[in-house]
Amino acid sequence: MYQYSGLILFAPLLSFVIIVFGTRVWDMTSRPKKVQITTHDGHNTYEGEGHEQEAHVGAELAYASVPAVTTAAVAHGAQDATAHAEDQAAAAHGANLDDHGEDDDEDPKVAHLSAGAIVSGYVGIGIMLLAAIYSWFLLLSSLSDTAFQKTGAFVWSYDWLKQKGGVGDYTIAFHIDTLGLAMLVVVTTVSLLVHFYSQGYMEDSAGYARFYAYLALFTFSMLVIVFAQNFLVIFIGWELVGLSSYLLIGFWINKKAKPEEQRPSPANAAMQAFVTNRIGDVGFIIGIMILFVNTGTFDFPTLFVKAPQVMSQGLLATAMILVFCGAIGKSAQVPLHVWLPSAMEGPTPVSALIHAATMVAAGVYMVARVFPLFVAAGPVALLTVAWVGGITALFAATIALVQSDFKRVLAFSTISQLGYMFVGLGVSGLGGPETAAIYSTGPGMFHLFTHAFFKALLFLGAGSVLHSLHHATHKEVQDMRLMGGLGPKMPITALTWLIATLSISGFPFLAGFFSKETIIGLTAQRGQWALFIITLGTSGLTAFYMLRAFILAFGGTDGKYGGMWGGTYRGVGNPKESPRTMTIPLLLLAIPSIIAGYWFGFFPYVGAREALDVAGLFTDPLTYVGIAVSLVGLVIAYFMYARLNPARLHTIVENNAALRTLHRIFYNRYYVDEFYNLLIKYGVLGLSHVEQAFDTYIVDGLVNGVARLVTTLGRDIRYTETGRVQSYMIGFFGGVAVLTVVALVLVNFVAK
Amino acid sequence: MGLSLNHFLVLGAMLFCIGLYGAIAKRNAIAVLMGIEIMLNAVNITMVAFSFYNHVNANGVNYSGLLTGQIFAIFIITVAAAEAAVALAMVISIYRKRNTVDVSDIDMMKW
Amino acid sequence: MDFATLVFWIVAVILIGAALAVVGLRNIVHSALALVIVFAMAAGIYLLLNAEFIAIVQILIYVGAITILILFAIMLTRVTSGQSTNPVSKQWWLGAIVSILIGVGIIYAEMNSSHAVATVGGSSPLPGNVSNVVRIGQLLYSPSSYSYVLPFEVASLVLLVAIVGAIVIGRED
Repeated sequence: MYQYSGLILFAPLLSFVIIVFGTRVWDMTSRPKKVQITTHDGHNTYEGEGHEQEAHVGAELAYASVPAVTTAAVAHGAQDATAHAEDQAAAAHGANLDDHGEDDDEDPKVAHLSAGAIVSGYVGIGIMLLAAIYSWFLLLSSLSDTAFQKTGAFVWSYDWLKQKGGVGDYTIAFHIDTLGLAMLVVVTTVSLLVHFYSQGYMEDSAGYARFYAYLALFTFSMLVIVFAQNFLVIFIGWELVGLSSYLLIGFWINKKAKPEEQRPSPANAAMQAFVTNRIGDVGFIIGIMILFVNTGTFDFPTLFVKAPQVMSQGLLATAMILVFCGAIGKSAQVPLHVWLPSAMEGPTPVSALIHAATMVAAGVYMVARVFPLFVAAGPVALLTVAWVGGITALFAATIALVQSDFKRVLAFSTISQLGYMFVGLGVSGLGGPETAAIYSTGPGMFHLFTHAFFKALLFLGAGSVLHSLHHATHKEVQDMRLMGGLGPKMPITALTWLIATLSISGFPFLAGFFSKETIIGLTAQRGQWALFIITLGTSGLTAFYMLRAFILAFGGTDGKYGGMWGGTYRGVGNPKESPRTMTIPLLLLAIPSIIAGYWFGFFPYVGAREALDVAGLFTDPLTYVGIAVSLVGLVIAYFMYARLNPARLHTIVENNAALRTLHRIFYNRYYVDEFYNLLIKYGVLGLSHVEQAFDTYIVDGLVNGVARLVTTLGRDIRYTETGRVQSYMIGFFGGVAVLTVVALVLVNFVAK
Repeated sequence: MGLSLNHFLVLGAMLFCIGLYGAIAKRNAIAVLMGIEIMLNAVNITMVAFSFYNHVNANGVNYSGLLTGQIFAIFIITVAAAEAAVALAMVISIYRKRNTVDVSDIDMMKW
Repeated sequence: MDFATLVFWIVAVILIGAALAVVGLRNIVHSALALVIVFAMAAGIYLLLNAEFIAIVQILIYVGAITILILFAIMLTRVTSGQSTNPVSKQWWLGAIVSILIGVGIIYAEMNSSHAVATVGGSSPLPGNVSNVVRIGQLLYSPSSYSYVLPFEVASLVLLVAIVGAIVIGRED
């Protein structure tokens, strides 16, 4: 049964292949081919260019595999443009004044999805549905399977490179155990819901089929990480999710940057994400190499046994901190967090899937996966993990307090929550292997598990709001100052969002409460009081900014229930509830957002010795401190945003120098991006200039110098070619004379 | 003391050197040619001398009838005659075009 | 000192002297006349070496033909201006050094190396008591396996080409 879980792994790859080589090509070919050039404004020309780019990306995707498909993609990129030109023309003539004609964003639209595109979506959803059902089935059956819980199950392996003596093998190996299974369920479930949800969100995108192909590719990549049995495979998956993330963030390649909202263009955001991740990956791969060189294996179980034996603790700690660098990059921890807010430029379902629930959690998963190595590496490595997480949690939460961009609040919230997970992992391992075994990876992974659901819900809810506002205003609106009072207009979205908000705030008896309080309690239990204060304070901040976002979007001072529900809508148009394809996933995600925390057996399931002590949780006074802090955050947010006029609030902040400065620092995200820009501009580019100078003057100088020397020599020596035959004779016979003398000397004096 | 091979060889060598000096040091093209003729003669003398003394080898076989050196000398004379004819034709041709027979001035093939 | 040796020394001294005159005289016509003496003395050396045919050919071709050819060339290319008709070039001293070095080298090698042929005694009478001329005729013309018929024919071609070439180069156009 477990060995067939490889089917889940390869299912998304199958749907990727079907979409790229089958339905997407069909989608392209089935679009109208008639060329109709309309020149009623300059806009069309630009759109046409955009389509060429779109076709280009498609071509790149297909280029990797089959030239014929490339040709098809290029050929039909032009037809994308044609389809759109017709759409534009129809809109201009007033015959088809629907939602798409006047949108100011540059995402290419089609009037109606072609059959090929729709089938692409169904293929993706159907295959993901089967995968999700199978993974849930595996999870439920593994609950009672103690043999599996102990060892996991082998799935599939392939000897890539085999060395003599079995040391230094390169093996592509997949396995599944309880830790992986917990992650697997999260990935397939969220992925399925996002697939489903995207039907509504991407309803008229010209790149509909491509979007599903990317989603499938991402899911496959993520599953490679989940199933990985060794560092080699996890690194391959690591880079694959980086690629998919790049493709999906930059999905709207035609969109421009919006400097007034501090928003980069998707293309730049994608590049930033990719490059920032590479910085972390350098550390990651160096760490892997240190381990491999010393132990001769990538395999996790072998490493757990062998690495502490053959490596000194200092070396192991160095290696593990380097490995953790990869997690810093992938999970957007300080100082490599800058890419995640920018990544919000991607489509919102992508943000939900990749940049909230799954890929960014891969760093946490990876640390949990090699947790025994961290424990063996000692407190230095563990404290590094915990402190990076703690600082990130507080840092990101303070920024999230003042952000006005709907999705960016969620982005910083994600960073902050990921910090919690690292704190959970780091402090859990402190105190030697015996103590570490008590909770093991439980708290961190538990928070990952619950967070995935409510954060995906938050993002999909946000997407629902943005989608609705897009239809209402024909513009892309992400600023919460242009929302407000949306509660009654889109009740399902608002209600589910409220549930997720309370859950992430640590409101008692919701999913986030259990996982978060466990981590906060654990820091106290391990005596890390500084981390305790940080995490505790952060939970208050979290409650504050989440409720603030909720009220700003869905409520207002003049709304019902004391301003929590409805009120003045500050934007234009008339937003409506999103279609069912989008609300159903919200409702489905609301369920685990409430109940996921009640899986009290999660800790032993992922290998801890003890289960979550629920009774202890409720008798511990620190828990009530935590609840109180969260409630204080919620109450402050309520009074500041639901009772206070926003204009009044603005005046108060502006008139207080300390608050104003603080607001500015938070709003500009501690100027980290500016600092990096300066660093790149003067540090990296300066170094590049030096290196360029080295290249120009030393390397080129050598090459050119040799050439110049030869040229000069040739030019000067040619004057020995006098054209006079007697000079040549002197040369010739002079040579003979010299050789004669040399020969005589040799014969008479040397050879004797 | 009678004549030996070395007498002729040294004579040929001295003659060759004198011819070489003439060929290198004279500026008149015809004088250069004369030097070359002297060199050819020096070689011929050496050839014939070797032919004369190559009468018997270490095993007592008689080589007297071979006359290889003399045959070579004949061919050298033949070629020398041909060379002299062509070279003098060239000298005359150059003289006609450039009004000089000074080899120092004939340097059209320089760099 | 026998007769042959005496003759050798006389001829050799005249030969070297005439050769030095050829390269040393400032008048090109005098040089050409000294060249006649060189060729004639060389013919004498050939006679000493029992090579009557070569000696006769030497007289005929060198003294009779080439010298006359050179004199004609001198006549046709007479340089009117300047005192010396046979000047030395600027690097004559270099030529002298090179020549002397090579000469010393050759002579040293000749004196000190062992030869593959006998160094004294001279040639015994030819087999079958044929004369030198007859023997050379046999070698050049006989169709036997050991003869120089083919090179001889090739030499005739060389001469033909030289004649044609000389005409082509030398004619006025």
